Amino acid sequence: MKNEKSTIKKSSIGAKTSRTVANTIIYIVLVVMTVVWMFPFFGIVLESFEVGTKAMDSNLWPIEFGFDNYIRLFTETKFLKWFGNTAFMGVFTALFQTFFILSMSYTLSRLRFKGRKGLMNMMLIMGMFPGFLTLILIKKVFWDLGLTDDMAPVGLIIVYCASSGMGYYVSKGFFDTISKSLDEAARVDGATRWQVFYKVIMPLSKPIVIYTILMGFMAPWGDFMMAKYIINGDPNGMNVAVMMQTWLSKNLLNDNYTMFCAAAVIVAVPVTAVFLALQKYYVEGVTGGAVKG
Amino acid sequence: MASVKLTNVKKIYGKNTLAVDNFNLDIADKEFIVFVGPSGCGKSTTLRMIAGLEDISGGTVEIDGVVVNDLQPRDRDIAMVFQNYALYPHLSVFENMAFSLRLKKVPQDEVYKRVTEAAEILGITEYLTRKPRALSGGQRQRVAIGRAMVRDSKVFLMDEPLSNLDAKLRNQMRAEIILLRKKIDTTFIYVTHDQTEAMTLGDRIVIMKDGLIQQVGTPTEVFDMPCNLFVAEFIGAPKMNTFKTELLLENGKYYVTPFGAKIEVTGDKAKGLAEKRVGTREIVLGVRPEHFVLSKQGDPCAISCQILVNEMMGSELHLHVLVGDNEKIIVRIPTVSLTDEQRRSLVQGTTIYVTFEGKVMHFFDEESQTNLLV
Repeated sequence: MKNEKSTIKKSSIGAKTSRTVANTIIYIVLVVMTVVWMFPFFGIVLESFEVGTKAMDSNLWPIEFGFDNYIRLFTETKFLKWFGNTAFMGVFTALFQTFFILSMSYTLSRLRFKGRKGLMNMMLIMGMFPGFLTLILIKKVFWDLGLTDDMAPVGLIIVYCASSGMGYYVSKGFFDTISKSLDEAARVDGATRWQVFYKVIMPLSKPIVIYTILMGFMAPWGDFMMAKYIINGDPNGMNVAVMMQTWLSKNLLNDNYTMFCAAAVIVAVPVTAVFLALQKYYVEGVTGGAVKG
Repeated sequence: MASVKLTNVKKIYGKNTLAVDNFNLDIADKEFIVFVGPSGCGKSTTLRMIAGLEDISGGTVEIDGVVVNDLQPRDRDIAMVFQNYALYPHLSVFENMAFSLRLKKVPQDEVYKRVTEAAEILGITEYLTRKPRALSGGQRQRVAIGRAMVRDSKVFLMDEPLSNLDAKLRNQMRAEIILLRKKIDTTFIYVTHDQTEAMTLGDRIVIMKDGLIQQVGTPTEVFDMPCNLFVAEFIGAPKMNTFKTELLLENGKYYVTPFGAKIEVTGDKAKGLAEKRVGTREIVLGVRPEHFVLSKQGDPCAISCQILVNEMMGSELHLHVLVGDNEKIIVRIPTVSLTDEQRRSLVQGTTIYVTFEGKVMHFFDEESQTNLLV
């Protein structure tokens, strides 16, 4: 009896030790991963305040702090124009894309028509092809339409929005969770399909609307490949990604590296701000009490 | 307030799944009609076709003399209460009820007046500022009814409005709907699978099975003269006992001979059989549990049976008994009619003798399942 008790005690101590060891290992791995992941961000922020332009010097911490790079960015380059171009694209892409995606998703979720399944599958499969397959053709067409070079921001908005309905998948899944009897109740109450959509479904779908807006707004800030081809090197049509990339070419790198970092920090600001402003809706569940429960 | 007329209405899902077929019904102005039947019988589908939420595959639906087949729900001037309430969760109770009025751009004063009036009648005035999620099931259902009330529409549709409530609340709401009906005074179409709701609420009941109307009639009509075995067993709880037996015609009198007993058919039933010139034949006999009475050994009308289960319901006993060739029937005995000694003796295994009067039986043809007197 006594023996048994001590065995239990021993094994419980053993379990405790092994759990501590396992936790320690997990934490070490996580800390290492976090450092590796966060390092570039800190690096860029710190480098952006370095006085001087030299790339890849041995010190990460600036020898001398200053706003030289930011000042240079706004006085010596057309950064404001490029930033404006990108913001312009971000806002309008977010607007149009959200409209297209949500109306497409709602239609696929609620209306039953011939070929609906086929259409959904086709769009899923087409979405799997990389977008740049169409690059040359789009450039040719836009060139003829005059939507390249300094008109590139408009052209790019069209590119970003045109196929956006194919991204119906996430929001259709969300709409599917909203009881159809809400639609029916509203239709009996005298609403048109469009009124049902914006008076009943939209207010209940804040999280997915916000998600769609965020995705639309962020797309142009990071787009490089399509933008590079459509902009065609015209400084008036540049977005931030394409312009900043030119600073990283071999012979310009040393002159522009710290300015690149400053630009990167500024680009991160609107995206972060929009995200912070909207994130509370992300988690807000509003469907409680809709139907029986 | 309006009449509703359905002519040869048909609903086909997909290629050939027939959900409703050959549905003909005239609903008078201000009538309370109940569609009742087991799940999958097409009652909800029919209601949704009247509402415009389902396409009509064939036939016509008229509201107030106008064919509405191709009208959108919003153009049909109907109000509907859903099984799961379908309240707009982002709107307050007041706004939920005002939703349809706002769409119609009714002036604010009028909206306020109508909503508060409806809330008063339903006793939900104190919840007007709450969101639906802060209400209990019964309160939500009141709001759903209120939302339909403020519409002042031609027809009031209700799709199993009480099925999500617990038994006690359901009884209470059922009584309230009866009262409400007097106050609203419009045409009601009510769908339910519960025969008690159908019997208590309806002016007329439409009993459906497999997409077909079985019988249309007042609660008394369908209870006293069910047109076939399905209706006979569906209406009434516990369900009607049915067993195969022989109908005898001897010297101008009719007798039935269930399980060795010989009981004379009397009253309207006997007259009916004579009018229809029914002779001696095999039949399916139907007797409701409450029409059985206790009898004594030796009585030629008595059926001997053995108690299998004794369910004490309070005001009455439900005796599940075995008769003849292991057939089970249910006998319902009011407790008040029993002596204390009798009550003590009615336990499992006891042999008892029961009989029934000649005027309460129902006769069905075994093959066609129809009532011989209809």
